[in-house]
Amino acid sequence: MAEPVAMSACARAITAEEAAFRIDYPLAYARSTRIVAFDESAEAVMRGIADEPWGQARFYTVNATGEQLVTLDGEAVPMAQEIEHSDSVIMLATNGIKADAVAAVGMAARERAIMTAGLLFVDDGELRGETLMAIRPHARILLVPAEHEDLYQLLVAIRA
Amino acid sequence: MLRPDINDLLTQTGPGTPMGDLFRRYWQPVLHTDELPEDGCPPVRAKILSERLIAVRTPEGEYGLMDEFCAHRGVSLFFGRVEEQGIRCPYHGWKYDANGQAIDVPSELNNSEFCANVKLRSYPLVKVGDILWTYMGDPEKQPPLPTWEFATVPSGQTYTSKRIQESNWLQALEGGIDSSHVTWLHGGGPKGTGLEADPLFAGSRGNKYNAGDVKPFFEVVENEGGLLIGARRNAEEGHYYWRVTPWVLPNFTMVPPRGDHPMHGHFWVPIDDENCWAWSFDYHPTRDLTEAEREAMIAGAGVHSKNIPGTYRPVANSENDYLINREKQKTGEWFSGVEGIAIQDSSLQESMGPIVDRTKERLVATDAGIIKARQKLRRAVEALRDKAEEPVGNVPEHQRIRSVAIVLPADQPFVEGIGDAFQAREGVGQTTV
Repeated sequence: MAEPVAMSACARAITAEEAAFRIDYPLAYARSTRIVAFDESAEAVMRGIADEPWGQARFYTVNATGEQLVTLDGEAVPMAQEIEHSDSVIMLATNGIKADAVAAVGMAARERAIMTAGLLFVDDGELRGETLMAIRPHARILLVPAEHEDLYQLLVAIRA
Repeated sequence: MLRPDINDLLTQTGPGTPMGDLFRRYWQPVLHTDELPEDGCPPVRAKILSERLIAVRTPEGEYGLMDEFCAHRGVSLFFGRVEEQGIRCPYHGWKYDANGQAIDVPSELNNSEFCANVKLRSYPLVKVGDILWTYMGDPEKQPPLPTWEFATVPSGQTYTSKRIQESNWLQALEGGIDSSHVTWLHGGGPKGTGLEADPLFAGSRGNKYNAGDVKPFFEVVENEGGLLIGARRNAEEGHYYWRVTPWVLPNFTMVPPRGDHPMHGHFWVPIDDENCWAWSFDYHPTRDLTEAEREAMIAGAGVHSKNIPGTYRPVANSENDYLINREKQKTGEWFSGVEGIAIQDSSLQESMGPIVDRTKERLVATDAGIIKARQKLRRAVEALRDKAEEPVGNVPEHQRIRSVAIVLPADQPFVEGIGDAFQAREGVGQTTV
């Protein structure tokens, strides 16, 4: 049995007002987030929010193998290079997911210890097993089915 | 992070607040039945949703829940005398029935006419299972009585405890949804299987999966009454071990089962904006709890807490730093150094402050379940406020729910795999590993 700790000042000095000025140093845009749409329908969802004033978030589509990401301006860039300094990759997909591409991005993220999250939009019918199998091993957390607004809410919440 | 206005929206539950209005569309647990143990027993204070109330049980056996303070001079009716058909204020003798209606004002010559115009705010207080529940909203919108399985199985099959938690309700709820903390905060012991040390968890095959894969993946799935949050770990070749946590709006969560142990879960009920009740329940759908199980629960094992006798305040609390044991923290026997799941949770959730400032948090992608839950809560609040839209979670079809632990083929959506296992069915055992 542990000995009770003598009453400490900080344990009792807790108020809502005080809690509101904890961590009072400026919060930078901490998340260097990469958002990758793996099919055309997912790209449409992504483009719907990409113009918001994000911090360091960058938005891409991807080629069939996943080796190349494509910026919203149409510039092809090497995937491995683009995610190198990110701390989270958000994968967006529907039933039209490019399985090879998601595997390539997912494995690259895993090798670099980059957090991954997946949002599966299934506006076009029932979620297919192959869709799930394609993304499931590569997304540490998966919203399924995801709503379009989930992407915006997630990016706001993680200060992307 | 959350905007300050959204943080206020979700955390304030007093009268007239939007979240308070949402809560007032649900039956909420108020008291154990043994807090009003017999007809004519002393009244009990019951603060909920920032309203100070008094609960009475008249000599005739009628339950009542009304404003704590006498309409005359504001005296607390906690000091009142329970008499036939109601409670009498000892200051000047004003008497109220179980519905808060004044029925005797001795000083007034025209007693009955005067009484007709004096009524304390009151709410229904109804026994379902071993709990007294109240509904504090518009009587015309009153939903059906609660049908949660833990409250409707025979008394021998269920046990409920409560403890006061010195934090806003949302901090507590978010702990119930946040499956990713389990491996850390509740970890410890040989090979990380602190679960094996708890008699209410020990011996489950699921414990081995837990210990064998300490980095679970998560899937968050919409459900009619809220969310299903699946934590996935590797099992045998080609299979995953799933632990599925249901959340039903606004404040009900369950913990996935282990073996044939009783199932458990929580209600997180706002007392006011800086305190809440953590109601904790265990039940078995098909058998009585054993003597050993019940003794363990009373002793504070599993999701329960060891409380200071005669109170609902845990023995390990903020005033004694939750009896943190630095030696066990160092050895890893208890990863956090605090004993017991309930206090491991409360120690950290209370340390965040009464109402954590969510504008300053740094969420990560694995917090998507919490992010989604906040989004659903905000939508429900705004839909009720702006469009008078009925909330979910207050009808039987959303309440007849269970948590699930199951092994499924790797290519199967867990919702499809568990089928109707997450629905409570009378006489059917839980789906568990």
